[in-house]
Amino acid sequence: MEALTPKLVGARVKRLEDRRLLTGQGSYVDDFRPPGLLHAAFLRSPHAHARIVRLDPAAARALPGVAAVATGAEIARLTRPVRALSKMKEYRVTSFPPLALGKVRFAGEAVAAVVAASRYVAEDGLDRILVDYEPLPAVSHMEAAMGAGAALLHEETGSNLLLAREFATGDVDSAIAGAAVVVRERFRFRRHTAVCLENRGCLAEYHEGTGLLTLRSATQCPGLVRDILADLLDLPEHRIRVIAADVGGGFGAKSSLYPEEITVAALALWLRRPVKWISDRREDLLATSQAWDEIVEAELALGADGTIVGLRAEVTADVGAYSIYPWTAAIEPVQTISFLPGPYRVPHYRAHARGVTTCKAPMGPYRGVGRPVAAFVMEGLMDRAARLLGLDPTELRLRNFIRPEDFPYKSPSGIVWDRAGFTETMLRARETLGYEAARAEQAQARAEGRWIGVGFASYVELTGIGSAIPVSPGMPVATGTEAATVRVDPSGTVTAIFGIASHGQGLETSLAQVVAEEMGLPLEHVRVVHGDTALSPYGTGTYASRSAVLAGGAGILAGRAVREKAFTIAAHLLEADPADLVVNGGRVAVRGTPDRGVTFREIANAAYSGARRLPRGMEPGLEATRFYDPYFGTASSATHAAIVEVDRETYEVTIRRYVVVEDCGRIINPLIVEGQVHGGVVQGAGAALLEEVVYDGAGQLLTGTLMDYLVPAATLVPTMEVHHVETPSPTALGGFRGMGEGGTIGAPAAIANAVADALSPLGIEVSELPITPERLFRAMPDSGGADRGSRA
Amino acid sequence: MKPAPFEYHVPTTVEEALAHLRHYGGEAKVLAGGQSLMPLLNFRLSRPAALVDINRIGALSYIEEENGTLRLGALTRQRAIERSDVVRSRLPLLTEATALVGHLPIRTRGTIGGSLAHADPSAEYPAVLTALEGQVVARGAGGERILRPEEFFRTYLTTTLGPDEILTEVRLPIPPPGSGWAFEEFSRRHGDFALVGIAVLLLVEGTRCAKARLVAAGAGPVPARLRGAEEILERDGLTEQSFEAAAARAAELVEPDSDIHASAAFRRHLTRVFTLRALRKAARRIHGGH
Repeated sequence: MEALTPKLVGARVKRLEDRRLLTGQGSYVDDFRPPGLLHAAFLRSPHAHARIVRLDPAAARALPGVAAVATGAEIARLTRPVRALSKMKEYRVTSFPPLALGKVRFAGEAVAAVVAASRYVAEDGLDRILVDYEPLPAVSHMEAAMGAGAALLHEETGSNLLLAREFATGDVDSAIAGAAVVVRERFRFRRHTAVCLENRGCLAEYHEGTGLLTLRSATQCPGLVRDILADLLDLPEHRIRVIAADVGGGFGAKSSLYPEEITVAALALWLRRPVKWISDRREDLLATSQAWDEIVEAELALGADGTIVGLRAEVTADVGAYSIYPWTAAIEPVQTISFLPGPYRVPHYRAHARGVTTCKAPMGPYRGVGRPVAAFVMEGLMDRAARLLGLDPTELRLRNFIRPEDFPYKSPSGIVWDRAGFTETMLRARETLGYEAARAEQAQARAEGRWIGVGFASYVELTGIGSAIPVSPGMPVATGTEAATVRVDPSGTVTAIFGIASHGQGLETSLAQVVAEEMGLPLEHVRVVHGDTALSPYGTGTYASRSAVLAGGAGILAGRAVREKAFTIAAHLLEADPADLVVNGGRVAVRGTPDRGVTFREIANAAYSGARRLPRGMEPGLEATRFYDPYFGTASSATHAAIVEVDRETYEVTIRRYVVVEDCGRIINPLIVEGQVHGGVVQGAGAALLEEVVYDGAGQLLTGTLMDYLVPAATLVPTMEVHHVETPSPTALGGFRGMGEGGTIGAPAAIANAVADALSPLGIEVSELPITPERLFRAMPDSGGADRGSRA
Repeated sequence: MKPAPFEYHVPTTVEEALAHLRHYGGEAKVLAGGQSLMPLLNFRLSRPAALVDINRIGALSYIEEENGTLRLGALTRQRAIERSDVVRSRLPLLTEATALVGHLPIRTRGTIGGSLAHADPSAEYPAVLTALEGQVVARGAGGERILRPEEFFRTYLTTTLGPDEILTEVRLPIPPPGSGWAFEEFSRRHGDFALVGIAVLLLVEGTRCAKARLVAAGAGPVPARLRGAEEILERDGLTEQSFEAAAARAAELVEPDSDIHASAAFRRHLTRVFTLRALRKAARRIHGGH
């Protein structure tokens, strides 16, 4: 039996959800206004670190229109504090109360909540809450936070060092001591945050008649949120429904559990009224998870021929005030050392990561997680080594890539890379760029006094992670499976229900393509449902570039099971051998005799008619639920190439060309893959050139508006050329590899390398991101800048 | 980010608006385009007892040329100025500067009077008003006051406009034909507030630079007229050497602050770079060149 329908997997299908989303027909949290709705607003700490001496909500409670004011103590009676656990040996568990209890640990932390008839009145209520704070010393710098004199953020731990982890393979010290060349650098990747078009927000309703609590949330992870809410609120899990309908972007920042979700759910239970909270942009910038803030001291040792012999690194991450659930504070720094060796053969490796708590919004996952920093460091070291050895930087990479014969390759941090096109992406990127010509143009531009640079970055990431390892190192929460239910209704159309949640990636389209192809149906016969724990089989959500692999795999299995049953029924109806049947456009017919066939409608009709029309003993109905666990996961890789120009007077960086050659295995929809690359590259370019969360020494956020936290605008976006190397995953069903984060991993490194290449005649290295005009100005030898030096 | 409660009035005449302002005795705010005031209200950084919304006072929106002066009603939208033919032909410096004000939706709502009354020293209009040696008209109970830029701008976000006065008109003298002009600025992204903005006007007699006007935005508490640099141009003429000398002098004259976007040293550097760029551009435009 086989499908003859035109290939859907691999087709450039326009996104099915876009008509809805682009014409204002989407259903975001704020679009829901149930009767009796109350609006919550959160009082947020103005202090970075302070004891709450007194909190008096009486005047707020007396304000007409205010239904309730909740304090930390009251919410603590309704819920438990969140404790993100880890199996890591050197990990100190800390509590994250939904509303501050006794003290606050970052400016912006939620201290109390006012629930009122409107958001206006709720905010008027905030004005009337009296809080006496006793300020404590701010802990604002990660390195100082580990010092003896630093104030302690979490008394229960006895240290601001929340975690440490080391990976070691071989004898790196001897390798480095004996190496022909060693390059060293102290890299600084500044703090970032995801800026979603839709701010965070949630709406909780408790239905007394059914005892059902429904939480609508702008989350990537409805399943994870439901699991933990059941525990925190002490409710049976089947009495909680979490819905993430349309969600306007997540980028990892909506994959964690947030205090507001717990508080709003608890308030709805308490008040027996629907309660909604929509974050405003100020709150999102203050209290949404932040990312990537790391200092990496790294050394790369090579032989005289450019062969890598060893890599040693110390990573320090500013994990902010709390360990975020479920990923923990380990997610960023430990991912960084997991992926630091990149797509290269590194025989000797030792890397140590530390996570330090400070008075800042908690660090969480953000598109790329650890790997943007890892690629920035490793690719920066590769370029430094190439300059030192007088080798072409692309040549140096080609000499060190894990070769086809090395797969499966166990990386020095223990990750197994299956067969992937590292070398191919580099060769294609060079060819697409017209590398020789680009270098010639660069030489010409330099002769004219212009600063033009060419930069490359190659990386590999682990995506579609199965049950072999947790998505975040040490995390005890299972994230290795997803499921799909494929249901054929009596008319023959299909509803495919997934536990993942699409928040802009086009999963409604790509998963429909997978299911329709597997079943031999036209695309329009399949409707994808996602993001609703009450409708779907168990799943956790969309994060870590997993949904194409895990949900796609589950969709294949469920679609296949239904198709097989449909064929058995069709064979029975047609009095034919199932092996002789083919399906084409929703009609199952005997091969070579197209007249002898039945439609899916007829098959489904038979399936629901019961024993009278079914083969003896067959269970009626036409649906299947299947779970999928890809176990190890998939290697997804790419090479990025950038040509930039640095203005000699303003130090502005302009991206002149941008090339991406990526290998995400078998492509479900090239349009969607390219869209993900485009968006990711823009986000990575923002990280490279613009975006930086800044706190002052007192722990006050200085980038609390979008006039100060600079996200890329259209004028920054370069023309991008995206090409594909399709090396099907040898292990994952369908051959798919996850790819949603890659653009953001490659772009900061490629742009940094291009800028460093442009400035190489001046001897200026790029060791800090973002590369701002100010930083380049200071690095210029004749700038008269405040702190001259040769580092940007 | 919801404003604190306020009373709301929508007068249709200036007199009616002034009566409201008098009634609240300094506790009311005038709402024009709202592009700066609304965020301040939403952040609760401004908590006026009342808003006097002047958007329905049609008499405050006009662009008229009269006796060598362009008179603009305070409520004239920035977008209307940007698209105005008379502005483009008589005061192209204003057209060029307007295109740099925020983004299109901001200019569609934002007004010239609102921008001047807000008095953000890094904004374009205060610098243009200063470079053109224009005037603003403030109307209050006691009649009209006509204020020059140095009489109007006091410091950051502060003018000498009284709490019961409304800025009603902006008067910009039209430079003689053949003058050179340019507005150049540097911002991190298109549409952001400028780290440094430079307005240049060069009035020529024959080949001589009779008068030079050089104003820096974003370089101090009020738009900075860079007289010392102007004098170099008036003395030494319009040569590349004098441009460079004037640009270097401009960088010394400004008193910029440091913030997260740029240090004072970098802003001085940018002042030099953009003064030079603006001077070269302005010189090219003398006698209708491009």
